[in-house]
Amino acid sequence: MTIRKTTSFFVLLFLLAAAIIAVFPIYMAVLNSFKTQEEMFRSVLALPSRLHWENYSQAFHKIHMLNSTVNTVTISAIGIGGILFTASLAGYKLSRTGGKLSNAIFFLFVASMLVPFHSIMIPLSRMAKNLSVQGSTYGLALIYIGLGVNMAIFLYHGFVKSIPRELEESAQMDGCNEFQSFFRIIFPLLLPITVTIAILDFLWIWNDFLLPLLMLTDVDRYTLILSTNMLFGEYNKEWSLILAALVLTAIPVVVIYAFFQKFIMEGITEGAVKG
Amino acid sequence: MEERGRRFLSSILLYSSADFRRGEIGVPLKRYKKYVSLLMFTAPAFLLYAVFLLIPTLGGMFYSFTDWNGLNKSYHFVGFANFAEALGEDSDFVHSLWFTLKYVVFMVVLQNAIALLLAVLIETRTRSKGFFRTVFFMPNMISIIISSFMWTFVFTQVLPQIAEKTALAFLDQSWIGNPSVSFYSILIVSLWNGVGYMLIIYLAALQGVPQHLKEAAVIDGASPFQRFLHVTVPMITHAITICFFLTLNGAFKVFEVVYGLTGGGPGRSTQVITLNIYEEAFSNNFRYGYASAKSVILFVMILIITFIQISVMKKREVEA
Repeated sequence: MTIRKTTSFFVLLFLLAAAIIAVFPIYMAVLNSFKTQEEMFRSVLALPSRLHWENYSQAFHKIHMLNSTVNTVTISAIGIGGILFTASLAGYKLSRTGGKLSNAIFFLFVASMLVPFHSIMIPLSRMAKNLSVQGSTYGLALIYIGLGVNMAIFLYHGFVKSIPRELEESAQMDGCNEFQSFFRIIFPLLLPITVTIAILDFLWIWNDFLLPLLMLTDVDRYTLILSTNMLFGEYNKEWSLILAALVLTAIPVVVIYAFFQKFIMEGITEGAVKG
Repeated sequence: MEERGRRFLSSILLYSSADFRRGEIGVPLKRYKKYVSLLMFTAPAFLLYAVFLLIPTLGGMFYSFTDWNGLNKSYHFVGFANFAEALGEDSDFVHSLWFTLKYVVFMVVLQNAIALLLAVLIETRTRSKGFFRTVFFMPNMISIIISSFMWTFVFTQVLPQIAEKTALAFLDQSWIGNPSVSFYSILIVSLWNGVGYMLIIYLAALQGVPQHLKEAAVIDGASPFQRFLHVTVPMITHAITICFFLTLNGAFKVFEVVYGLTGGGPGRSTQVITLNIYEEAFSNNFRYGYASAKSVILFVMILIITFIQISVMKKREVEA
């Protein structure tokens, strides 16, 4: 019994040490974001003499926090909404319809999941330029839909199989057309997988860096991460300002994490097992 | 209403008959209708997918065999010359391939080993389980580029200062400036950010291991390590395979950490494949066809890994 207790104690100790490493950079960033530059050089570990909120107001201003947040929210909302809408329609129909055409379309979608983004970034940015959607918030959201539907269709396709056909058949007998029976009967039943897809796509779009970097040229259109990246490049050594910006950028995700932790973790497990 | 219902019933019967699906009976109009509805449901998704993913993929492959500079109207087919140049003469690209490969090996082993170790240890806790899960997953929520900026601060400001003030002199490294050290800096940040994701998958798998199997092993006198190796591991092979390929796939595509931490430097010593492609395409010399060839090489590498993955998974499924 005592052996068991000592092992358990050491396991706890080990986990706590690992947890400290996990939290350390975040703690350092938050702590030092409240200091002046001189305080930081004197000691990074010490507590700040007082909370220098002016770092935050300066960073808030420099990364155009409000504007950047609105841009990021807009892109995420249209992107995710568009993916859910178009992919649920397609995934449902492809799952219900047999035949060569349907299989061929489904295969095209699934096969494209293998294409790494870095392999298409060059032709994609040309395409965006040609369609003159480069630099546009909505254009970027459309690109996210185009890149994101394949996985969503794959997940919907699998999920629809578990829903009995009799449901929409009886709805259609009651006089619904195909779209009505889909939106009234089927779509609500897809909720569990819809939540999974929404979470996975939110984490992807919100935290994405390279695609916005390639697509957005105008500072007014920048996402949160792009604005912070720009600030990092411009104010290379002004750590108190940069750290405040980093904390500001991280806050929305951490808040969402705090509220939706259970869903996020379930979403990741689901997505990994099915994908 | 009556009539309508009967019509639907008979059409359902017709749809479900095998002859109809083979297209031997059934009105042409009905089949036409079936295609129309298929197209109407799939068109919105397919259109955006075609424009932003399918056509760029095919276009990139096409131009990888040309000498197009991205501006002129005209270009020539050069066969495999771009590929030969990338793999034969472009020492920067070859270096980035090896650097990425080294990174992949370290990442796949360490990310899975650390995540599995933490998952197994967390699983033994009762009250603090949720707490540790939350803490270890948190870094994964912060975007990789933000993570690497945070770590840049830790590497350039915090660690040197700690080394100066304490006995931990080994912390005073040129974490970013010295390529042989910054490889490990890149690794540390990637692990810090990525372990949590794998941890969640492993934890879910561990919860699926039936308690009675572990108890039976305890009664049979198995040590904790034996229990882990002979009871737990076989029960979570599926998760191990998934995580293995998730890390493998992800590690090949590493970009943000390197971009944020070293920018590929000093010089090009820490450049990874994706960063090399990015530079080729967007900063210097307008060699569109050549950059496309490099992209195709990356694509083929990912493709090979995925096919290995699929065959391994298939084999496992048969055995199970």
